Amino acid sequence: MALLEVHNLVKAFGGLKANDDVSFAVETGELLGLIGPNGAGKTTLFNCVAGMFPPTSGRIVFAGEDVTALGSHEMARRGLARTFQVYVAGGDLNVLENVMVGCFMHTRSQSQARTRAEGILEDLGLRDLKLNLVNELPVAAQKRVTMATALATSPRLLLLDEVAAGLNPSEIEDIMAGIRHIHSELGITVMLIEHVMELVMNISERVIVLDYGRKIAEGLPQNVARDPQVIKAYLGERYVRERKAL
Amino acid sequence: MEAIKNALDFSDFPKIDRMLALAVFSFLLAFPLFPLSAFAMATMIQFLMFSLYGMGWNTIGGYGGQVDLGKAQYVGIGAYTTTVCLLRWDIPFWVSMPIGACLSIGWSFIIGYPLFKLKGHYFAIATIATSLVLKDLFEVWKFVGAARGLGILPFKYQVPDFTRLIFKEDIYYYYVIFVFFSIGLLYMNWFRQSRLGFQLRAIKDNEEVARSLGINVHWAKIKTYAIATAFVSVVGSFHAVYVKNIEPEDTMSLDLSILIALMAMLGGAGSLWGPIIGAGVLIPLKSYLKEWLGAAAGLVGIDLIIYGLIIMIISAFEPRGLWGIVEKARRRRRI
Repeated sequence: MALLEVHNLVKAFGGLKANDDVSFAVETGELLGLIGPNGAGKTTLFNCVAGMFPPTSGRIVFAGEDVTALGSHEMARRGLARTFQVYVAGGDLNVLENVMVGCFMHTRSQSQARTRAEGILEDLGLRDLKLNLVNELPVAAQKRVTMATALATSPRLLLLDEVAAGLNPSEIEDIMAGIRHIHSELGITVMLIEHVMELVMNISERVIVLDYGRKIAEGLPQNVARDPQVIKAYLGERYVRERKAL
Repeated sequence: MEAIKNALDFSDFPKIDRMLALAVFSFLLAFPLFPLSAFAMATMIQFLMFSLYGMGWNTIGGYGGQVDLGKAQYVGIGAYTTTVCLLRWDIPFWVSMPIGACLSIGWSFIIGYPLFKLKGHYFAIATIATSLVLKDLFEVWKFVGAARGLGILPFKYQVPDFTRLIFKEDIYYYYVIFVFFSIGLLYMNWFRQSRLGFQLRAIKDNEEVARSLGINVHWAKIKTYAIATAFVSVVGSFHAVYVKNIEPEDTMSLDLSILIALMAMLGGAGSLWGPIIGAGVLIPLKSYLKEWLGAAAGLVGIDLIIYGLIIMIISAFEPRGLWGIVEKARRRRRI
């Protein structure tokens, strides 16, 4: 059964259509990649699905329920968690407390939240950093903290927005291992936006490609990578012409 | 059960903090036993009252980061409810105080709902506006004595009156407010470790992220605003029986709202000790400025100038107040 279904989603900001008639489904247990050039509307799509703002038209169905009009916190309560692309926790919450906020979605008890948060940090290899403030950590650790916080809400579907941006190759390895762990050991369905091709192609079971707000391709990573429309979107028309000429 | 345990649990503070807190607490407990001037006694009662005002403000303003400059309206509602109840129907303090708190909370829901659609400075300005409008209404409302206010005549009661809270000696008032202060402190110690406390800190940091973690941001703010209101209203009721003469100008003025916010802002917004430190610095200063410099030297308004300066210095150098400086130093030493 599809965990998330998006039907003919349109999101317009004034005259600009950031998402134009996008439809897709995420199956339970899947690891789906969402790629596309800058400004293709990937994050907008995430924001619509996560309830940050309502779509202009179209329908979103999550676990069999029409959730089109629901807000972020209601989506979170139904089991959808997300990370944010540019977000550094600047507040006075340390790593452990950050993760505890997520745990508090399911419990009122401080001791239960603390125990669970410590378990999650242990699991993601962040235990030694638990008393640090998030903004004093290196970028790679910050990204893992945002993942841990999202995980703390015990989601069924986790949306990851560019968790590998700005990381070096060995850090990307780590993040990849982390995502694999979340997906296969914890059994959470994952959908990720990524610019780092190596990561998407490596771990996604299926890939969706957006360009100018429209879905231009969908399928297995290796097939999508050979799709002429995708190549054109990423590398430009001229590149395709020149290659044909050769 | 866990709530009570958490309220009594100060173990996450460093040992020196706990020792200092215990020393201050013992001092406060024993203070009235020293034969000191009536002026010192009055100042100490003010200190305890303003610590409580500050603690209330600290929930929404400190932990939640929503700068509220309209708390005086709830001092007014609390104070007027208690006075009116006593004068018209002879309702004792212990009944009128909860009634006042309920009225305040009801009013806080009514204005909190639209108010929290606003953010940042707009929210702060709107809170000032609602408070001033309410004050103006009370100034023309005959039932509550309009601009002249209401007075409780202590000689009509058999002192010491423990149900109406009418006393001749300040020592009684001191211990009543000291008990409130202790309960307030324990409540705040629970609050900062509670789910709502954590959620508010997340909201202060980033509302979008907070929402994505399942927090109903608008509702969490309204709830906390009601908690802050209850604190302020209860102390307002106490103010009524302690001062025995209330008028809109001194219970609901903008000066009072700013002073309430300043306790936590100077001492340390979003920390347990902040409002107490703030009140400890500001209340003696306030008494000094008003009674001596203001009245004696004819420098009327000097207190407001100094408060303005303090706000500017805090926001420019250390938004987390005096306690923020301490925490920063500790953090640096650990790293």
